[in-house]
Amino acid sequence: MKPISTLALALFIGLSTPAQAASLFDDLGGLESITRFTNRLVDLTFTDPRTAHQFKHTKKERLARLLVDQLCEASGGPCRYKGVNMKKSHIKLGITEAEFNALVEQLQQAMDEEGVPFHAQNRLLAILAPMKRDIVER
Amino acid sequence: MRMMAISLTHDQVGLGMGNITNFNMGRTVRRALSVALAFLAVPTIGHADDSPPPENLFGSGKILATPGVIQVEGAGGSGLSTWAMISGYGTNRQVGGSAHHTFVTTNDFTLNATGVTIGLFDRLELSFTRQWFDTGSAGGRLGLGEGFKFNQDIVGAKVRLFGDAVYAQDTWLPQVSLGAQYKKADKGATVRAVGAADDDDIDLYLTASKILLDKSLVLSGAARLTRANQFGLLGFGGPNGGRSLQFEGSAAYLLSRHFVLGADYRTKPDNLAFAEEDDAMAAYVVWLPSKHITVTAAYTDLGKIALQGRQRGFYLSLQLGF
Repeated sequence: MKPISTLALALFIGLSTPAQAASLFDDLGGLESITRFTNRLVDLTFTDPRTAHQFKHTKKERLARLLVDQLCEASGGPCRYKGVNMKKSHIKLGITEAEFNALVEQLQQAMDEEGVPFHAQNRLLAILAPMKRDIVER
Repeated sequence: MRMMAISLTHDQVGLGMGNITNFNMGRTVRRALSVALAFLAVPTIGHADDSPPPENLFGSGKILATPGVIQVEGAGGSGLSTWAMISGYGTNRQVGGSAHHTFVTTNDFTLNATGVTIGLFDRLELSFTRQWFDTGSAGGRLGLGEGFKFNQDIVGAKVRLFGDAVYAQDTWLPQVSLGAQYKKADKGATVRAVGAADDDDIDLYLTASKILLDKSLVLSGAARLTRANQFGLLGFGGPNGGRSLQFEGSAAYLLSRHFVLGADYRTKPDNLAFAEEDDAMAAYVVWLPSKHITVTAAYTDLGKIALQGRQRGFYLSLQLGF
């Protein structure tokens, strides 16, 4: 039983450590950090052969600005996303689940490089995950 | 509620339990054919600059760790429990698969299990596993002969019914799958001699799983209709009963990108008269250095087995796949 109770304790500590008082925006490192990892994400997205073909006709700088606003707002930061909604902006692109997941992995990599803690990354991904319904078409 | 389920799970849900699988199976077959045709049609030397690269059928498009590992009977899950996720890293337009070897050693026994599991289009999972249960010196004490082995083959199938464990983060609705495991014990005469009614049978299970990403937690629970004695190694049914509904569940915590900590609990029938059978549990660490290599190390307590007292020990599983 001892390892079980040790595990239970570890689970309990693991679940209770992220300070719920601090907002996700702060845990992501604030606007400067979000801007840096978003720019890095867009760089990765435009060069990774798994996703690059979907962004051939996209203006990179504009996309990065919109994404910073979107991630900042989603994490509770003082920004407002002014782009079109996810469904409209991805219509008829025929985005696959594999392409969507590749972008998630690029975001994880960009956040890793920025030093965003793993559990804060997951909290952001939890907010973004339901967008898959509007983005993935096949 | 039905409308909600449909809108929540995007296009992957049909209109009612009965025709969900039919509808999607048909689509899966069509998809398989079209992917196969696309492969034939893809020119082998270069493609126009503007056209998308060909899709990779074996592209391992799922996110790391999200399909779980292979459990002891060969299904996608964790150590002792089945999960609703379809095993392998294939997405809805890909195929994934892996081979595993699992080694369990307890006070008196060792169990080896080897098998392959494939996931088709994130919809259907097929598996084959062989288990060797070595009684060691306990075999002598039981009058079977030292080193006597109880073996079994397990053929498994699992179909995803509805839900999305990974992406439906705005709802509590889990991913739900239905599975079956056909098990055939190889020592028919011996398992009958210890009281089992049969040497083969089918376990049916309904499993529901959810990744709570904002808590980095995976929860899973399954109901299993079974009469397997010690997972089927000691045959099926017996003087104390036949099929009953049993439970298996897991909680796993995503420690980091490459490490998962978790625990399983599984109840089992107690059908044989000669020896009492207990519930089993395991606490494990999974290391996922990449999508192609997964190592599970566990401490396990399988309860009393064949009059030899409580069996506690270690569980190690290596999985290679895509």
